[in-house]
Amino acid sequence: MNMHHAVLPLLCTFALLAGCAQPPTDQINAAEQAVKDAQQSGAATYVANDYAKIEGLLGALKKEVADQDAKFALLRDYGKAEQLAATAKSEAERVKTEAVTKMEEAKHAAVQAHQVAQDAVKSTLELVAKAPAGKDRAALESIKTDAEALKASLNDVQMMIDKSDYLGAQTKAQAIHEKSQTVSREIEAALAKIGKGKPTAAKKK
Amino acid sequence: MIQKKLRIAAFNLWGGALVIAGTLTGCVQAVPQEVVEAVESIDRNLMQLRAAEIAPTDYGSFARQWVTLRARVEAEDDLIRWPWESSDLEFALRRLQEEGSRTVARLTAQQAALRHSAERQLAHIEDRMKLISVQVSAIDSRLVLGTKPVETDLLVKQARTFYEQGYYGQSLETSDRAAHNLAAQAATLSRELGRYASRDRIVQWQQMAKNTIEWSRTHRTSAIVVSKAERTLTLYKDGHKVLSYPVRLGFNGIREKRYQGDGATPEGRYRITHKRGQGQTQFYRALVLDYPNQEDRRRFVHERKTGHIPALRGIGGQIEIHGVENELMAQTLGCVMLDNPHMAFIFDRVDKGTPVTIVGALNEQNSVALALAHLSVTRDEI
Repeated sequence: MNMHHAVLPLLCTFALLAGCAQPPTDQINAAEQAVKDAQQSGAATYVANDYAKIEGLLGALKKEVADQDAKFALLRDYGKAEQLAATAKSEAERVKTEAVTKMEEAKHAAVQAHQVAQDAVKSTLELVAKAPAGKDRAALESIKTDAEALKASLNDVQMMIDKSDYLGAQTKAQAIHEKSQTVSREIEAALAKIGKGKPTAAKKK
Repeated sequence: MIQKKLRIAAFNLWGGALVIAGTLTGCVQAVPQEVVEAVESIDRNLMQLRAAEIAPTDYGSFARQWVTLRARVEAEDDLIRWPWESSDLEFALRRLQEEGSRTVARLTAQQAALRHSAERQLAHIEDRMKLISVQVSAIDSRLVLGTKPVETDLLVKQARTFYEQGYYGQSLETSDRAAHNLAAQAATLSRELGRYASRDRIVQWQQMAKNTIEWSRTHRTSAIVVSKAERTLTLYKDGHKVLSYPVRLGFNGIREKRYQGDGATPEGRYRITHKRGQGQTQFYRALVLDYPNQEDRRRFVHERKTGHIPALRGIGGQIEIHGVENELMAQTLGCVMLDNPHMAFIFDRVDKGTPVTIVGALNEQNSVALALAHLSVTRDEI
C-alpha cells in the first residue's frame, strides 16, 4: 500500500510532463524563413515546381500543428510536425540554392546574348560608316535608320537585365543579333554595288 | 488411436491452409506501389506542362496534397494490412490521382489552345508585317516610319522565339505589342501621306498641272509636269502631251520637302534656271530648277518659326532634273532622275525658263492613296 502511494505521484508527474508537449515553434519559424528566402531568391520563377512543393510542405506542416493543437493536451504529439519542419527547411535551402544557380545561368545567358548583339550592331554601324558620302549614300539612308534603331534597342536589353527579366533580355538580344546580321548583309550588298560606281561629292539638296 | 491421428492430421491441414492463406492474402502493403507511381507520373506531367507557372493555384493544391501524402507513404512504408481492411491513405492517393489526371487533361487542353492562339496570332502578324512592308516599299515610304519597322521586326522575332521555347503566353503578349506597332505604322503613314488621298489637295494639284499646260499652250512652248505618286515626268509642247517617262525621286521623295538633307522632292511650280550639258554635271545632263522659290521660302520660315523645322537646318537647294550617274543609283537626294536616253530627249526639248510643275498626284486612285486604303483595312484587321 505504501508503495502504491509512492508510485502514483510519480506516474502523475510523468503524465503531466508528457502531456505538456509544445509545438516546435523555432523549427517552424526556421522552415518558414527558409521558404521565404527561397522565394526571394527567385525560386517561384526559376524552380517553380519545386517551390510549389516546399510551399505544400509548409502547408502540411501548419495543418499538422493545427491538428495537434486541436487535440486534448495530454494526447498532443508534435513529432511529425518536427519532422515536416526539418524537411521543409532542408528542401527550401536546396531549392534556394538551385534557384540562385538557375538565375545566375539565366543572367549569364542574357548578358552573353547582349554582348553578342552589341558586337553585331557595332559591326553593322561600322559598315554604315564605310558607305561613301554623297549621292549614292541615299540608298543607304533607310538601312542607316535601321542600324540606329538596333543600337537604341540594345538599351532595352540592358534595362531588362537590370530588371532581372533575363528571358525577355535574352530573346530580345537574339532578335537584335539576327536583325543586325540581316542589315549587315543588306549594307554589304549595297556597298558591293556602290563599289562599282564612282564616289561623289556631297551636294546641297 | 486412429481417431487421434486423424484429428492431428486434420489440425495440421487446417493450420497449413491458414498459413498459406495468410501468406497469399495477408501481406498486403498499406498502399499499393502502382498508386504511388501513378501520382508521381501525374506530378511529372504537371511539371512538363509548367503547371506551377501557368496554373499556380491548381498545382499548389496538388503539390500540397502530394507532399503530405508522400510523407505518410514513407512513414507507413513498413505497415501491412489485411486485404479486406480499408486504407484511407490509399483512398486519398487515388482521389489525388483522379484530381491530378483531370488537372493534367485540362491544362493539356488549355496549353494546346494557347499554343494554337499564339501560332495563329504570330502567323497573322508576320503576314501583316510582310504586307505592310510591301506596301511601304511600293510607295518608297520606309523612311517616313523611322525606327518603327525595326522595332516591330524585333518584337515579331522575339514572339517567334518565345513560341518556339513553349512560352505561349509571352509569345501572345509580344505579338500583341507587335500588332500595336503595326497599327501605329499604318496611322503614321496615314498622317504623313494623307494628302495623297485628299480630294481637295488632288484637285489643287490638278489645277497646278492644268495651269502649266495652259501656259505651254498660250506661249507655244514646252512645259514639264512631274507627278510624285505616279513617278512620271510628262513633257508638253504647245499644250499637248508629247510623252511621259518614268522617274526616280529622292530617297524620301514621297514627302513634301521641308529642309536641306531630308531627301524629299519639293512640290510646286518651278522654272529651269540652268541647262548643264555633258561635262558640266556628274549626272549625264541636268536641268537646274529655281528651288527654293518664294512660296518655298515663305513656308520654310513659317515652319521654322512654329518649331517644325530644327533651327540649324537650311532650306536646301540645287534641285535638278538629271540623268543617272551610274546604273546602280536607285534614288536621289531630292531631285528627279531620268534614265539617260530619256534625259537626252527632254534636255534637247526644253530651255532656260521652261516651267516645271511638281505635284503629289494627279489621280484620286494614285499609288499612295491605294496603299493607304489598303493599310487602313490592315489596321482595322489588326
